[in-house]
Amino acid sequence: MLLTVDRINKSYSSFPNPPVQVLHDVSFSLAPGQALGLVGESGSGKSTIAKCLMALAAPESGSILYDGMDVSKARGAELLRFRREVQMVFQDPYGSLNPRMSVEELIGEGLLVHKLEPTAARRRERVAEIMRTVGLNPDDMVRFPRSFSGGQRQRIAIARALVIGPRILVCDEPVAALDVSVQAQVINLLRDMQRKLGLAIVFIAHDLAVVRHLCDSIVVLHKGRVVEAGPRADIFERPREAYTQALLAAVPVPDPEIGRARRERRHVLT
Amino acid sequence: MTTVSAMSGAPRRRRLALSPFDTAVIVLVCVLLLAAVFGPFFAPDSIYTSDIANSLMPPSAANWFGTDDQGRDVFWRLVAGARTTLLSSFLVVTLYSLIGVTIATVAAAGPRWLDEALMRLTDIGLALPSMIVALGFAAAMGPSLKSAIIAMAITGWPTTARLLRGIMRQTMESQFVAGAQVLGVSRWRLMTKHVLPNSLDVLIVKWAGDIGNTVLVLASLSFIGVGAQPPSPEWGATIAGARGYVSTAWWTVVMPGAAVAITSIAFGLLGDIIQVRRDPSLGGN
Repeated sequence: MLLTVDRINKSYSSFPNPPVQVLHDVSFSLAPGQALGLVGESGSGKSTIAKCLMALAAPESGSILYDGMDVSKARGAELLRFRREVQMVFQDPYGSLNPRMSVEELIGEGLLVHKLEPTAARRRERVAEIMRTVGLNPDDMVRFPRSFSGGQRQRIAIARALVIGPRILVCDEPVAALDVSVQAQVINLLRDMQRKLGLAIVFIAHDLAVVRHLCDSIVVLHKGRVVEAGPRADIFERPREAYTQALLAAVPVPDPEIGRARRERRHVLT
Repeated sequence: MTTVSAMSGAPRRRRLALSPFDTAVIVLVCVLLLAAVFGPFFAPDSIYTSDIANSLMPPSAANWFGTDDQGRDVFWRLVAGARTTLLSSFLVVTLYSLIGVTIATVAAAGPRWLDEALMRLTDIGLALPSMIVALGFAAAMGPSLKSAIIAMAITGWPTTARLLRGIMRQTMESQFVAGAQVLGVSRWRLMTKHVLPNSLDVLIVKWAGDIGNTVLVLASLSFIGVGAQPPSPEWGATIAGARGYVSTAWWTVVMPGAAVAITSIAFGLLGDIIQVRRDPSLGGN
């Protein structure tokens, strides 16, 4: 396994109230090149998992192992290797790009920080190359993020993450802030990149419809616990847990007959 | 997106129309700056020499603001003094802004105990009346314009440090800062490239307002005698030298006093105008 999350717990202190535990013994694992979907409603602990995965927060107990290293204890050169090999795309494409850096600086930052390309000219070539790969015009590299639409910004964010050649890409609801028409483009881009680069993806989403086309296996979260986990087919065709069934029933379908029947069944848990 | 500012490559956003009052303030500031930069080249040499026969003449066509006790033209001495006053104020504000930015950055980036220590130090700085402290420092170093500048530079930083540290902490909550951390940037790069440039906006407003205040304090220090010394044409020193004639030749005191007041107010208002025009909640951008 490339990444193993083993029974992690995490709580947030909210003094003077008692601390709120947001993750309860969450475990899952990710194989090289696999796309894993983490699905759950607001407050299910998805973003906290992302923070722990990215070593931005440390779980109180349990461990996250990446390629043999304990992520939350990694320091120095080891942490730097982790940063190069595990990258992230954030939810809000308007807040996740520094407004004072040009696209070239934004995308090239990883190459600079990890000293992958020593010269500015070579960095520019690599930036242009990855911009073409994600469907951006390299001529736009001198522009600033505010000149781009939400979907284009998310492409910039993906290029920024992928240019240093990571092995895992963690996507924290990367399409939740985008128009439906643009959502599909970004998901297709991620799938293409996954196939082309052999990338492993952890895709966090709040509804099952979004992960359906991308993820081989799915972990369903509810109130900080893993409710159900398994291959895509099992989750979609034979959901065992009532919560998973309720989530599935919430996926809109284009057929009014089926839709009506589903709405009947939706009162199970919500 | 409250932190964007005018930058290359962006389409110009709609600007607010300037009111006549705003225009007047900006014109006034420009005139003051031009006077400070070019004025001394046009000033006659006679402002540095005595002409007793011509002393204490009231304002006239030849001497617009009259002459002082040494027979020197008051108007041209003010113009010559504008360079000293404004240049010194710019220097003071720039110096203490640098100190403030450094302390704020270290406090925001450093561990919690360092942050606490620096902020308590800032509290002490804020609690002490800066002009009295500057007075003490300047007197201890020996009265001169240089000591007044140094004294004000080392007492002025606390408000800047406090303000900027708060804003930097806020900026550090932004997603792009988390994004930079995820990418593995160093702490130095994180602060200088990501946090600081997105926190400095407010200092531009503060900088203009602080110039106005500094002009006033500098003139006060010189008036008391710990700043610029006569015969320097610095405004505070000019008032100090002429204060004996306030009942017989009012123009020797009122004109430099008005120069201090107008300059101070003009830069203060310029700060307000910039603030309104940059703050989206007040209709600017």
